[in-house]
Amino acid sequence: MKAIFAFGLLVLIAFLGSQFLFKRKKLFLPLSYFFLSGLIYIFLGLSLGKNGLNVLSPAVLEGLNPLISLGLGWVGFIFGFQLEYRYLRRFPQKYVELSLLQSLFVICFVVAAFGWLLRLLFPSEPSSLLYGMAVVLGLLLSLNSPSLLNFASSEIPQKGNYFHLARFLVSVSGFWGIGGLALVASFWHFPFIESSIFIKGLVLLLCSTIFPIFIAYVFHFLTIKKTSEHDLLVYLLGLVFFASGTAAYFNLPSLYVCMVLGITFSNLTRIQEKLYPLILSTEKPFYIIFLILIGALWEFNLDYKIALLVVILLILRVVGYSFPLRPLGKILRFSFPLPALFGLCFLSSGGIAVAFIVSLKLIYPFPLIDVFVSVALMAVVVSELLSPWALKNSILKLDTEK
Amino acid sequence: MNIIALAVVFFIMLFLKSSSLAPFSNPNFSPSISLGFILIFAFLIGKEINRFKLPQITGFILAGIFCGPYILKFLSIGDVENLQLLDGLALSLIALTAGGEMRIAQLRKNMKAIFSILIFQTVIIIAGFVIFGLFARSFFPFFSEKTLAQGFALSILLGTLATATSPSTTIAVITETNAKGKYTDLILSTSVIKDFFVIAIFALSLSLSKFLAVTGKAFEADVMTMVLREVGGSVLLGILVGLGIVLYLKFINRETAVFILGVAFFTYQISQSFGFHPLMICLVAGFLVENFSSRGDSLIQAIEKSSVPIFVVFFAISGASLNLEALRRSWVLALIFVVWRGVLKFLGTYVGAKIAKEDPGVQKRSWAGFISQAGVALGMAVIVERAFPEWGGEFKALVLAVIAINQIIGPVLLQRLLFKVDEAGKK
Repeated sequence: MKAIFAFGLLVLIAFLGSQFLFKRKKLFLPLSYFFLSGLIYIFLGLSLGKNGLNVLSPAVLEGLNPLISLGLGWVGFIFGFQLEYRYLRRFPQKYVELSLLQSLFVICFVVAAFGWLLRLLFPSEPSSLLYGMAVVLGLLLSLNSPSLLNFASSEIPQKGNYFHLARFLVSVSGFWGIGGLALVASFWHFPFIESSIFIKGLVLLLCSTIFPIFIAYVFHFLTIKKTSEHDLLVYLLGLVFFASGTAAYFNLPSLYVCMVLGITFSNLTRIQEKLYPLILSTEKPFYIIFLILIGALWEFNLDYKIALLVVILLILRVVGYSFPLRPLGKILRFSFPLPALFGLCFLSSGGIAVAFIVSLKLIYPFPLIDVFVSVALMAVVVSELLSPWALKNSILKLDTEK
Repeated sequence: MNIIALAVVFFIMLFLKSSSLAPFSNPNFSPSISLGFILIFAFLIGKEINRFKLPQITGFILAGIFCGPYILKFLSIGDVENLQLLDGLALSLIALTAGGEMRIAQLRKNMKAIFSILIFQTVIIIAGFVIFGLFARSFFPFFSEKTLAQGFALSILLGTLATATSPSTTIAVITETNAKGKYTDLILSTSVIKDFFVIAIFALSLSLSKFLAVTGKAFEADVMTMVLREVGGSVLLGILVGLGIVLYLKFINRETAVFILGVAFFTYQISQSFGFHPLMICLVAGFLVENFSSRGDSLIQAIEKSSVPIFVVFFAISGASLNLEALRRSWVLALIFVVWRGVLKFLGTYVGAKIAKEDPGVQKRSWAGFISQAGVALGMAVIVERAFPEWGGEFKALVLAVIAINQIIGPVLLQRLLFKVDEAGKK
């Protein structure tokens, strides 16, 4: 009976989705980006999960584990596939430097603040664990999503320097965050968190980098000859699946492994034009299913500690992105000023942040992780709700003033 | 190039599954790595097998067997069990496509032949197995150790299971060969309709066998009620699901890929809770969508577009689930059964097609399309095992061995037939 009810719910959400979701209009209306970005599906998943109807029960989710790791791998692959050197080299090098320094600042800022705060809120937990989580939250905050700017593109009449810079920064910032996650997962490898595993960590990091490069070469050699669309789809799914499954099997982030696979392959192959339509046609369904599964995995709880952490995380996000811009602009000698207001357009972190959170939950299956997952997911949801407003008050104003 | 890729992927997996890396691994994600590996490995094997003019799905099945729990153990029995949900999803999608391939006009045209072949196959095969059972009492302990009534019951059940074919395999071979034409329509429609028929016949056989071998009482009404509920419930739910898809396509028609996956998932869940058959539900739903929605054709084509990964996953897992231990124990008897079943299939199809006044080619050749066996036969073997605990286990092991052989040779025979009658590549 529950399954039938859940099915009805899916149809209802699909109907609502058909009315609002991904339609590029009225972006700046309150709540509309919540539908546009597809985050509503997290709540559908939540209502179908353990805390709701229990249709996607823990046993069912265990059966769907391969799909979850594939989803993570898919997100990582798509992200990496866009990082093509041919395309990136068109941008000035200082854009890349700004992206790196901005991410580093955000990570350090969050680690410093949360390292102290978490010890205050969870005094009984081991400090190594809390510092680890602070690093991970810092990495999470360094991620941005290009979806909002893509959606907003049609509603921004004047696309100036700020728009183009922001678009570049949000498109590449994930590289640092996901790369950082790989570092953490290798050197702080579960279940050996407490022991010193520097050499092992190095080996794990090397393996999680070399393995996908190897797989990308296999993919490339398989597709050198003329390949049919059917074959290409299976090669793509199979190799991403294999890479993400391998990463999950060794408690390494599928996101990172598949990102490296995507980067390597996109820089090796000459069939981008053939692959992009295939990726685009599968991206949205994958993303929606992925969000539903994430919602179902979410052990939702809300107490004062979580609420406080969410608020602080949001404040840190705004401050962390706004505060360093002016000095960084001067250091890197940008031809136009980078005011603090510009930092507001980095509020949205979208699907990549959600994938990051799930990676975290899969890599570190200890009890406290659910608290961090709740904090991170809520922070993502709230920042997505606020991001259109923030974008409207940053880029729109800055490019118009200019 | 494929061979090199195959070797590279294989040795990577061999290394990843080696015991030296075990301390770093998370067994919860063993199905993820196994599924990723099997998807690419089975597909490459399928492509290689295809060079020898064998169907790709034979390659998928062989890859599953090779990597499964009895040979290389890349997939453990636990992994295979954990992948049942994904296997169920794939089966539902295949059944939707199979249902969508059946058009009312074609069914009307072939109705006489379908039912004639269906009836004569069933009668001749069951009778043939009863005769075989009586004859084999002198040669095989499997029969001679039982009373006459038990042997009779056993033969009836074996005969019923022997009539079953696998619509999922049939649709996979037809899709792979892009076949279209008289033979294709007849074989697909008969396989699909036979699935419903066989389940009803099985209920009757089970009642009769219980009467003969165990209780000595008249037919058990509860078995019939159960089967009626299963078949009726599946058909009814299939109609509801089909109508739901038709309405969705008419009024919403967005994110159909997610919706169809949702349908497959919930169908599987509901069928598990109520004991219905996901295959039947999706067959009926696919049939409704194809015949009663203007957009049905495009939907079925969209599922077909992504059919290759679905087939790879489904057939590789079914290959991995084949019980090689059972085959090892009873391969001689299983081989005799397979040959005898083939002879009876030929006779049943020949007589059925002749009475329906089909042309001589159909009479002589179309039996080759009814050899493959999979899920339904397997499900029935499990029910027999539970119903007859004293010899059910032995029976199931034999049936599993027979299924293993039929599932390997069935797709090859069907593919050869489709090429021979020049229907391959005509779609």
